[in-house]
Amino acid sequence: MEQSRKKFLKNFFIGAVSVPVLIEACKKDVESNSGSTGSGNTGSGGSGSGSCAVAPTETEGPYPTHSPSSYVRSDIRDDRTGIAMTMNITVKNTNNNCSALAGAIVDVWHCDKDGNYSEYGTGYTNLHFLRGRQTTDANGLVNFTTIFPGWYNGRATHIHVHIFNAAGNSLKITQISFPEGSGSAVVAVNSTAGQAYGYTKGMSGYTYATSDNIFSDDTALVEQASVVGSLSGGYVLTHTINVAA
Amino acid sequence: MKKGRIIQFCYRKIIDNASEKQWEKYVFESSYKEFRMQAQLYNQDKKFRTIAEILHHVPAAERLHFLVSPSITGYIQQLKGIVPDVLDNLGKHFLHFEKYRFEIINSDIQDISHHQVAINFFSEPVEWIETIGNYMLITRSHEKADEENRLTHLVELKPFFSIYSLKEEV
Repeated sequence: MEQSRKKFLKNFFIGAVSVPVLIEACKKDVESNSGSTGSGNTGSGGSGSGSCAVAPTETEGPYPTHSPSSYVRSDIRDDRTGIAMTMNITVKNTNNNCSALAGAIVDVWHCDKDGNYSEYGTGYTNLHFLRGRQTTDANGLVNFTTIFPGWYNGRATHIHVHIFNAAGNSLKITQISFPEGSGSAVVAVNSTAGQAYGYTKGMSGYTYATSDNIFSDDTALVEQASVVGSLSGGYVLTHTINVAA
Repeated sequence: MKKGRIIQFCYRKIIDNASEKQWEKYVFESSYKEFRMQAQLYNQDKKFRTIAEILHHVPAAERLHFLVSPSITGYIQQLKGIVPDVLDNLGKHFLHFEKYRFEIINSDIQDISHHQVAINFFSEPVEWIETIGNYMLITRSHEKADEENRLTHLVELKPFFSIYSLKEEV
């Protein structure tokens, strides 16, 4: 193995003249690249950067078109399975007698049934399941089609919400909690019956909202949504969030 | 027949204020807009201006690379799987990518001219047959010139274009 590696390196160095630069080029570390010389020009120039490089000899195009962020969607499930859940979130403006706030951008994200978020893993996939963005209508309402979130160590069941004005300036970063009493959706989903839908954690080791770092001070239950439905029929989450816009 | 080596290339495409092509400008503007939105998660007191400052003070903000990446997904799809800028010695785009990774190199919430991002394109596996001068002779596994001959490409290694992985055939 070591021999073959040496052989490879030897061949490689004979074949390529600018090896040190190349090895630097694909490092993903932010700092090392921010200091590299001429990175902007060389990279963005692309095909035209080298003095003796061939120029493109193909027909131009296809021409790029404007494309919205792939966050913008109502159905945020992607490949995630679980018990269906519809989220209806209404945004109201405390600076306008709590009337509906139209045109606000609402980002939501939550974990899957096993308690995992979409993120850069060891692979290079660019999945962003269970993350979405909608703009409120004239009634201040946005809808999302998703699955009932699972839970993970140290946290109660929750949905993250980030509300922006139309210009993208943050109005509120908050989380939505769920009722957890007997007969609640959280208890049903994490019961034996919920296992048929893939929710296998049960309630053992679950952190209730009253002990949760984020929700424990929410004694007035301002952050708690109404959640109604059934395992087979799915659930509907309804919640209102007041912002100062 | 000479045994080849299976390699994957990485092309690191840098996009910044100096980028001129329309596709690059779209990526530049969309990713900056999304960066400004997402950065507020980690900068609620508006104490920081640059991503370097945010990352220094809020380690969890490392997630920003991922969180901003959906802003360019549509533009990646418009490439239809072809690595941009990388040409063979005939001047044609030939390299296909399977994976990519977006990252923010620099940015400033108050000054778009400091925004700089990178898209790392990881090519499909190709067979490296020979090195001729500064060029690598490579072939895509399923491309044939005719029944007996395989189609080949000559490609020159350049800054920001490198070999990412290697598997020697036994």
